[in-house]
This record gives sequence, C-alpha cells and structure tokens, in this order.
Amino acid sequence: MATIVTAPAQVPAARPAPDSGRRRPPRRGLRHLATARGTPSMIQAMIAAIVILSLAWGGLGAWTVATHSSGATSLAYTGEPYSRDAQRLYLAVADADVTITTSFLAQAQPVPPGQQPPSSLAARQRLQADLAQASQYLADLMNGGGNAVLTQAVATFEQDLAAYQGYVATAQTEYAQDVIPAGDSAMEVASEEAHLGLLPEARLIYSQEIAAVGASRNQATSLPTTVIAIVVGLAALIMLLWAQRWMARRTHRVFNLGLVVATAALVVSIGWLAATFGLASSDLSTAIGQGANPAEALAQASIDVQQIRGDSILNVIARSGTTSLQADSAAQARNVGPGSGSLLGEASAAGNRLVTTDLAGAIAAAPAWQVANNQGYTLGSQHQYNAELESIKSAQVSNGYNQVTSSVSRALDAAQQTFTTQADDASSAFGPLEAVVIVAALVMVVASAWGLARRLAEYR
Amino acid sequence: MGLTGIGLAAAFGTIASAASRAAAAPSAASPGGTINEAGSSLLLPLMQKWAADYHQQFPGATVDTAGGGSTAGISDAAAGSNDVGASDAYLSSGDVLVHPGLLNIPLAVSAQSVIFNLPSLRGTNIKLSGTILAEMYSGQVTMWNDPQIQAINAGVPLPAIRVVPLHRTEGSGDTFIFTSYLSTQDPDWNTAAGYGTLVNWPSPPAARPVTGSNTMITGCEQVVGCVGYNGVSYLPQEQAGGLGEAALQNGGGRYLIPSPATIQAELDKFIAITPPNETIAMIDGAGGYGYPIINYEYAIVKTVQPDAATAARIRDFLQWVISSPTATSQVSSVGFQPLPADVQQLSQAQIEEIR
Repeated sequence: MATIVTAPAQVPAARPAPDSGRRRPPRRGLRHLATARGTPSMIQAMIAAIVILSLAWGGLGAWTVATHSSGATSLAYTGEPYSRDAQRLYLAVADADVTITTSFLAQAQPVPPGQQPPSSLAARQRLQADLAQASQYLADLMNGGGNAVLTQAVATFEQDLAAYQGYVATAQTEYAQDVIPAGDSAMEVASEEAHLGLLPEARLIYSQEIAAVGASRNQATSLPTTVIAIVVGLAALIMLLWAQRWMARRTHRVFNLGLVVATAALVVSIGWLAATFGLASSDLSTAIGQGANPAEALAQASIDVQQIRGDSILNVIARSGTTSLQADSAAQARNVGPGSGSLLGEASAAGNRLVTTDLAGAIAAAPAWQVANNQGYTLGSQHQYNAELESIKSAQVSNGYNQVTSSVSRALDAAQQTFTTQADDASSAFGPLEAVVIVAALVMVVASAWGLARRLAEYR
Repeated sequence: MGLTGIGLAAAFGTIASAASRAAAAPSAASPGGTINEAGSSLLLPLMQKWAADYHQQFPGATVDTAGGGSTAGISDAAAGSNDVGASDAYLSSGDVLVHPGLLNIPLAVSAQSVIFNLPSLRGTNIKLSGTILAEMYSGQVTMWNDPQIQAINAGVPLPAIRVVPLHRTEGSGDTFIFTSYLSTQDPDWNTAAGYGTLVNWPSPPAARPVTGSNTMITGCEQVVGCVGYNGVSYLPQEQAGGLGEAALQNGGGRYLIPSPATIQAELDKFIAITPPNETIAMIDGAGGYGYPIINYEYAIVKTVQPDAATAARIRDFLQWVISSPTATSQVSSVGFQPLPADVQQLSQAQIEEIR
C-alpha cells in the first residue's frame, strides 16, 4: 500500500492586493475560478463535480448492468422457452390436422368385402392429444404475460380451435354415415380453418415470441449503453486523477486519502464491469450464434415440413376447384433445403458441431422425401386421386419423412441445449455486479467528499 | 395506454367501424353499371333470367352473362377478369389457400339430372343406381337391357340398345357433382376414378366426350342409347329434344327424380351443417329421403374489389339475387330451389364481406 505523506498544513500567504492601476484580462475555466474565487471555491467545485460524476457512474452503470442482466435472464429463462412453446403449438396443430385428415381419408376408402375399414380411433386420440397440448402451450404462453397483439392472437386462436373441432366432428359424422363427399368437404373446411386461421395465428404467436426473444437479445447485448456507462466512468476517473494532481500542486500533498479511495473504488468497479461484460458478451455470442440462430432456423424448418405435409394431404381432397398446392409446397421445400440459403443449410453452418452432426440425417433424407411428395402431386394432376392418396400416405410414413423430422428435432434440441447453457452462463456472469457498482459509487461520493472537505476545512 | 391513447383508439375504432358498415351496406343510390359474369353452364339459364330482370328493374345496371364452365368461372374470378364467377362446385382448398379472400356464395339450390335417349321409353323415368351408372361409364354395363337394369325396372320394356356414355372433357362442376355421386354409391368407381371437376374417365369403346352443357344435350339427342348428366335447369330443353330423365337411387334405396319436394328433402339434411363459408358437398346424404344429387350454385367473388364502386355493384346484385321476390321467383322456373332462410343469412354475411 502506498504511504500517504501528509505535509504540514500550509495556510496560503495572503495575496498582494490587486494592482488597481492595471486591468487584468478576463480569465476562463477552473484556473480562473481558482484564481478569482480562491482555492476553497475550487475545492467546492471539485466536490460537486466528483459527486455528480460518481452518482452518474453509479446510476448509469447499475442501470446498464440491470438491463443487460435482465435481458440475459429473460433470454435464458423466458424468451427462448416461450418461443419453443409457440413453435410446439404450431407443430401440434399441424400434426393434428394432417393426422386426422389422413385417417379419415383412409377410412373413407373402399375395403374388400368382409373387411372393416381402418379404425380412426388412434388418429382421433392423437388429434385430441395434439389439441390438448396446443391448449397447454397457449395457457403457458398467456401465463408468461404478453402484449396486446399476442393476447388478441391467442383469443382468436382459441375461437378458431373450437370451430376447427366442430368441422372435424361434422366430418367424422358424415364419414360414419358413409356420406363421403360431405365428409371430405367438411374436412376441407376444417383444413382451411387450420391453414388460414389456426396455423397463421400460431405463426403470429410464434413470431411475437421470436420478437420478444430478439428484444431480450438486444437488451442483453446492447453496446451503446455499455459504452456510455464506461465513458461516464472514465470521465469520473479523469476528474478524480485531475483533482488529485491539482490538490498535490496546490497543497504540496502527494495523496488525498479520500480521492485515492474513490479512485480505487471506481477502478475496481469499471474493471469488474468491463470484465463481466466481456465474459457475458462472449457467452451470449455463442448462445446466439450457435444456439438461438440455428434453433430459430430449425424451428422454422419444422414448421415448413409440417406445412409441406399438410399441403400434400389437403391437395388429395381439394378436387373441386382449379388450383394445386404443388407450387406452395415446392416453395416451402426450397425454404427447408438442404442447400445454400436454406434453413437446414443455415443451421448446419452455424458452427455448432452437435447441430451439424444431428442434421446430417435430415440433409441426406430431405431431397428424397420431397421427390416422394412431388410424386403425389404429379398423380393428382393426372387425376389419379386414389394413387395420389396412397403415394402421399406412403410419403408421410416413409423413412425419409421420419428421418427428416427426427433429425431436425434432435438438432433443434442440441441447439436449444447450447443456447440454454451459454445464456445461463451469461446470466450468471453478472452476479453481484449491480450492487458492486452502486456501492462503489457511494464509496466514491463519501470518500471524495470527505477527502476534499478536509482540505476545505483548512481554509476556514 | 393512457387516457389519450384509449380515447384515440376508441375514436379510431368508431371511425373504422362506421367505415366498415358504410362499405358493407347496400348502396343507397339505384344500382347501375355493368357486372361481368361467367362460369357454370348449369347456372347460365337462370343467370340470364336474373340479368334480364335486374336490368328491367334497374335500367342503369347491366349483367353480362357467359357460360364457359365452372372451372373457368373460378379461375376467371380469381384472376379478376370477371366480376362474378359461377360454379356448381365449391372452391377447393387449393383455390382458397392460393387465393385467400375468394368467396363462394350460394345463390340457389340446384340438382343434377341423369338423361338418356331411348325413343321407345319417352316419358318413362328409368330407375338407375350409382353402381349401374358407374358400370355404364366404365364399360361393364354395355346394353340398356342389361339384367341389372331390368332387375330394378320390372315391367319396363328395356330395348336392346348399346349404352353410349357421354362425359364432359373440360373442368366442370357438373362432373364434380356427378362423379361424387358415383364415388359415394360405388366403391370400385371411387378407387378407379374418384371424383373431381376433372377425372380420368374410363374409355369403353362407346364413350363420347363432349364440352359444355348444351353439347351434352345435342350430343345425347343425336345418339340413341346415350346416357349423360346435366343440371335440372336444362330439363325443359332436354325433354323437348326427346330425352328422358332417370330416377336415381339414394342412400335409402329409393328411386327419385328431382322435384321441389325431393330436392328439399335432401337439402334439409345439410342446412344445419353448412359452414359459414358455405363449402359443402350435398351428395346422397344420410337417411335416404331426398334426391341424391343436389348442390348449391355458387357465385365466386373476390372479397377485395379494385374499387368501392365495383364492390357496391357486386354486393347490390348478389343481395338482389338472394333476397328480392323477383329473383327468387325465377329460381323455381328452372327447377332450382331458393336458398333456405338459414343459408340465405350465411350468404348475406359473405356478401357483406365484399369490399
């Protein structure tokens, strides 16, 4: 520890009276203040400046830490889990729709004499399970709070879900009475409700959650507030150092204990903050780059895969009009990938080895699965409706489909795991920093005021 | 949200709501301008009558009608090349998903006749089932005196004439409805051909393709032994040409011809389950009391029109069609039925969506 040498107090000699015969040029700044009003005024001004800068550092630093820490915590424990719930909500609805439509279509097909049509019981149970899950995800999302857009989207979703279930029930009744066209048309209406109502609403809910994740992400990694806090801290440091230099010259004392303590508190708190931000930033960068980004791409890929699946089965029953869903399906397939610019490509190139490994299966299987889907559309365009149905059913239970979905799901879990671990580390990194900055600022105020007040007292 | 925000939102909501009501309400001025309509050839005879009556009632308004088939009606309306498309078939999910905002609005209830040309049995309603028709179209029943036909037409002197099945080659709502009936009644047909506006027709040697409802009539008139399908609105023309109308078997085993009573009996089973977007197939409903091939005749319209004046013209005309006594009285003149009150309300709600 440096020895503080305290020179005997020297009362400055009385200054000669100003030369009344000569006009001195006007002087500016602290030097002018010191000269014009004397050293006590200068010390008072320094106390005021240091207190203001200390409080500014404490307030701004603590606010920055609180904001970033809360952003990181929200990202780790709220945003991502809710966005996953929103994604699962979409998948549950998509799966429910495709499952029940496929089952009812299979049930409506003729069976050889003496055989029973295939039971739709398992599909109906899966439908109910999917919809129950969807309701649970909705409840979870609403429990997490939300904005007006989300609340409205959830309310509309719930209404449309009830309507959807009504149409499915009508279809089931008509099929049960062997009124196949009416069953099919009711199923078309149900699917339209799913495709034009439920799924877009689920997508809106998902995008709301993704936007919330983005906001948390920005909050956790926002550079300007950190830079401003550090600039204020450095300004306080410069002020403290300057004050000490000035005091040393004026009073011939090398150190002012109060200012030294204030400077030490400031240096420790700035260093702590910078180190924490560096660490958290690195963790968050990994969390986002290797976790959240590929997870988001894979979540979207899962949704698009279900959209492709839904389009293909809907195309089987959509026979009254003029438009095939093949173009829409092809656009979704291009979006999924693999390949440059596709979702699978983007996730695979994110630099997460686990994700890349898990995705290999989907990347290998997706092209063949998409070819199988296209085969169904080709048969449909040739009006070979029964062959189209068989082809689509076969594509939906094919190894290709299973491989794509299971591989994407594993990779998504891996990306989520990376994200959670890294975001958790980032959140933990902030630890007691907020308190440290506040305490340091208070120490700065008290110590510098005490140190300077002692000098001031010597002039009274 | 602060009080100011709430106040602004309320004011905005009020203005938006008022604007919405204003947009949906019938225009206060007398309808005018021209509406282009094309599509279903089944609906065409009625649409022509409506157009004439509408013009008579509102001399400033003109409705240009054209056939072309349901498929053309849907695609033209979707493309915006016609104000109103007409279709015997509802929009497919593909149409609805690719063209969101396209509405199918029932204007009337129609039925489809199965016609035949057997001069010796003029005036006789030969009984036919979906299975027999499916076998006629797939070439398994080739003669009119086939034992299967004789079995259900006891006492009718069926002639030994070759069956000549006629089918539409273009995308057709009539084909959609007819093949839906065949698919419902005959599992083999459902497996082999299925139903749609276009299907892969089996090609027995006697089969003949035709295009359009009128060609179906003239084609059948020219070939003794023909069997075909057409909307009931063409029945007077068909009967004048010497063609017969078959009594079709419904799910309850009854053989019926389309009449106001049998159409209504079938319709009753579907009113309650007609969804708000009015997409429904009404083929061979459960219970088996009605004529088994009925359908709504749809106007296909875009929700969002190029301008408010066009939207108002279309709304005015469609509201007149479903609700004015003049228009509804014309419906029965072509063998159709007016919309039941519940369905009329659904149509009204859809018409109000046109902006």
